[in-house]
Amino acid sequence: MKKLTLILCSVFALHAAEVRLPKYTREVLPNGVVVYLMPKPGVPLVNFRILVKGGLEADPNGMSGLSAVTAQLLRSGTARRTAEQFSAELDGLGGTFLATSNEQYTVIASEFLRKDLATGLDLTADALLHASFPESEVKKVLSRSIDGARAMKDNPQAAIGQYFKPFFYGVAHPYGRPVDEASLGRLTRDGIVAFAGRMNVGRNMTVIVAGDFDAAPALEGLRKTFGAAPAGTAYPWAAEAKPVAGARLLLIDKPDATQTYFRIAQPGISRTDPDRTSLQLINTLFGGRFTSLLNDALRVSSGLTYGANSIMDLHREPGAITISTYTRTETTGKAMDMALDVLKRLNKDGISAEQLASAKAYVKGTYPTQALETSDQLATMLGDIEVFGLNKGEVDDLFSRIDALTLERANELIRKHLKPEGLTFVVLGNASKIRDVVKKYAPTVKEVKATEPGFGN
Amino acid sequence: MRVFLSFLLVTCALQAQPGTVKSHILPNGLKVLIQEDHGIPNVAMYLFFKIGARNERPGTTGVSHFFEHMMFNGAKKYGPKQFDNEMEKAGGNNNAYTSPDLTVYTDWFPSTALELMFDMEADRMQNLAFDPKIIESERGVVYSERRTSVDNSNSGILFEQMRAAAFTAHPYHWPVVGWPSDIEGWTMEDLRSHYKTGYAPNNCVLVVVGDVTEQQVMALTKKYLEAIPQQPPPPVVRTKEPEQLGERRVIVRKQAQLPVQLIGYHVPDSRDADATVLEVIDALLTSGQSSRLYSRMVDKDQIALNVGAQVSRSLDPGLFVFSMTPRSGIDPARTEKVLFEEIEKLRTAPVPDAELQKAKNQLLARQYRQLKTISGRANLLGTYEIYRGDYNKLFTSDKDIEAVTAADIRRVATKYFSEKNRTVATLIPEVK
Repeated sequence: MKKLTLILCSVFALHAAEVRLPKYTREVLPNGVVVYLMPKPGVPLVNFRILVKGGLEADPNGMSGLSAVTAQLLRSGTARRTAEQFSAELDGLGGTFLATSNEQYTVIASEFLRKDLATGLDLTADALLHASFPESEVKKVLSRSIDGARAMKDNPQAAIGQYFKPFFYGVAHPYGRPVDEASLGRLTRDGIVAFAGRMNVGRNMTVIVAGDFDAAPALEGLRKTFGAAPAGTAYPWAAEAKPVAGARLLLIDKPDATQTYFRIAQPGISRTDPDRTSLQLINTLFGGRFTSLLNDALRVSSGLTYGANSIMDLHREPGAITISTYTRTETTGKAMDMALDVLKRLNKDGISAEQLASAKAYVKGTYPTQALETSDQLATMLGDIEVFGLNKGEVDDLFSRIDALTLERANELIRKHLKPEGLTFVVLGNASKIRDVVKKYAPTVKEVKATEPGFGN
Repeated sequence: MRVFLSFLLVTCALQAQPGTVKSHILPNGLKVLIQEDHGIPNVAMYLFFKIGARNERPGTTGVSHFFEHMMFNGAKKYGPKQFDNEMEKAGGNNNAYTSPDLTVYTDWFPSTALELMFDMEADRMQNLAFDPKIIESERGVVYSERRTSVDNSNSGILFEQMRAAAFTAHPYHWPVVGWPSDIEGWTMEDLRSHYKTGYAPNNCVLVVVGDVTEQQVMALTKKYLEAIPQQPPPPVVRTKEPEQLGERRVIVRKQAQLPVQLIGYHVPDSRDADATVLEVIDALLTSGQSSRLYSRMVDKDQIALNVGAQVSRSLDPGLFVFSMTPRSGIDPARTEKVLFEEIEKLRTAPVPDAELQKAKNQLLARQYRQLKTISGRANLLGTYEIYRGDYNKLFTSDKDIEAVTAADIRRVATKYFSEKNRTVATLIPEVK
């Protein structure tokens, strides 16, 4: 029995001056599966993280939700287990199993006690490689997903995110297609089986094991399971795509809303952009922490909202930089003006040396708890390194990249990426009370009702 | 047998911990818990103040939560905005939360900022400023929080209404965020008296977990916190909720795509021996896709989009709350009937051994996952210290769970999950 002091003893000695990714190995199995192992003695839990390249961008136009529904169905019956048996076995171990898809990959993340590594691997591999997609389960999941898409309208903050996609990116863009009743209605079992057969193959998979485990038996287990998958062909990434964006405004009418939710967006960068570290740092100052310019103006100094932020997407293709907040219906114009004013001033005046130093310290100080503390965080980082074609310098050189950012360069990047014109607005609220207020923000205004099916697409 | 073994392994891991938590009480009553962990160069510092919505009264509901906000708005040495500015500049960030029982401040920062954090926490614990202009601005922030989490949230507004009906006398009747008229009405005097009693060192548990040493923490505690005088504790909450004598029903009509249902049963406080049995019942019914309610309602019968349960820790007798979203076209009466059928099964038939063991394993694994991070451990240590009366109970919680029998499940389900003891709240979609 280990003492907790031992259990928690660090494998990466950190100094405030640097961070290091713990040791790991990478190898490619004969069928193309990329395997990462990061044994890290500690809390006796082991994480599996399987990435299948493709994700949302692999959903055919008009069939959004295909990758997500396929992921969800992986546990609903396999060659050896019914859906019920799978759940009973998983829950009996106190394990977790999550399967979902994002902009560029499907991800299966499962976690088990150290001693259950073999069973955990068997369950995880069985789901991914031998899912049988029983017709009855497919019907159930599809019908539930359709209700889920409808229920999302009852949560304004989640709903506005869906309306944002087609309006900002355009439906021709792989990120511009929300999952709605119509797209889910077009999915069939045959389509799902074909998709899984094409995507869940050796050359398209990365398997990461991180946590408290012994590398040798784990690798042997992986060879027997994932190593036996058909090699198939790697998913060919979609052609480069640009958001439609532009100076336009979408107004979503929700007559019972007592506050207005709004987003103000412009095109941003990709996960691999050479300026990503610098721009994240700048975005931290703009809208990524409590004392950020946006939160300070709209919340701390004026009490207009509970929170205002700016989110910078980091996907395979360039995403959006989005101001996001809400305020009571009566102060809609005031809050929107203020958010725009913050952006204008930042673009015109730039930041000070003191602000830059504060952001650098903040990003460095919070990084360990956000990215390096637990095995699941570390597995996520290894997955990003593989899918986006990065290397361990993503972590190891982070602090030197932060240190290298000069004030001059920071302000140059602000002028280039945080522009106060040509912005795309998405506003959700009581249209009868805010229609006249918001029309001044863009030359073209489109209005939809929240009760209409879909998300304005 | 495999299932049983994994249970034992968790047990061992929990037992490995007690020696590493150091506990001190200062002469002014401040309790300090310290756990060293040098895995990452960071610290989680949590301050639990034993004051919350239950210590309020009509007219000042929500004042504890409002105070949680005011604690960031300037004291004597560190003025308005400085707490956050200094903390972020030193590489840290923070949050805070208010519950019906507690107000908790959560600081995360690199160990290099340890002394700064003690200095700033001490400053706001004893010398908070009360600037009328800032109070007015913060009122707007809190109202915005209420609009987001209650007024424009279907489940939020239903929860508020359900609790208000379930509790008629005890302060759990009102929402933590406060009634709208009270948010508009607090006075400076309300705030001052709340601060004096609530934020005294004898009313606080300080938990520090992470890249620190016991000596370091105690030296700073003495330097910054020892001189703060103790105060008379908040008045005892005298009111006890009278026994419920019949089912209560609440209807909320609101624009919505789908209905929402919340069904609450009165249950004892967290120190009661039945609290652990209720946790096991929660796992049996709602944890994982093999749980009884998920497998029946979401999967087999396909009548609910989701189903869950919540048994919050509470200092006074609280509620065990079931939540469901009926699928479109499903009458809420049907989901409700199925829920009651499943509850009836718990009352009448013993839970099979394997199923009971599964629920126990899930609970232990869940607790274990909370120990992965310094913040998770800081939160658990403080929570056990306050709700169970001793942080050491965290390390014997596995034994409490292990001791639950099928007979306990039946007895507890029969005792609390009765028709007379429940409040049924339904949000019915309204088409405008």
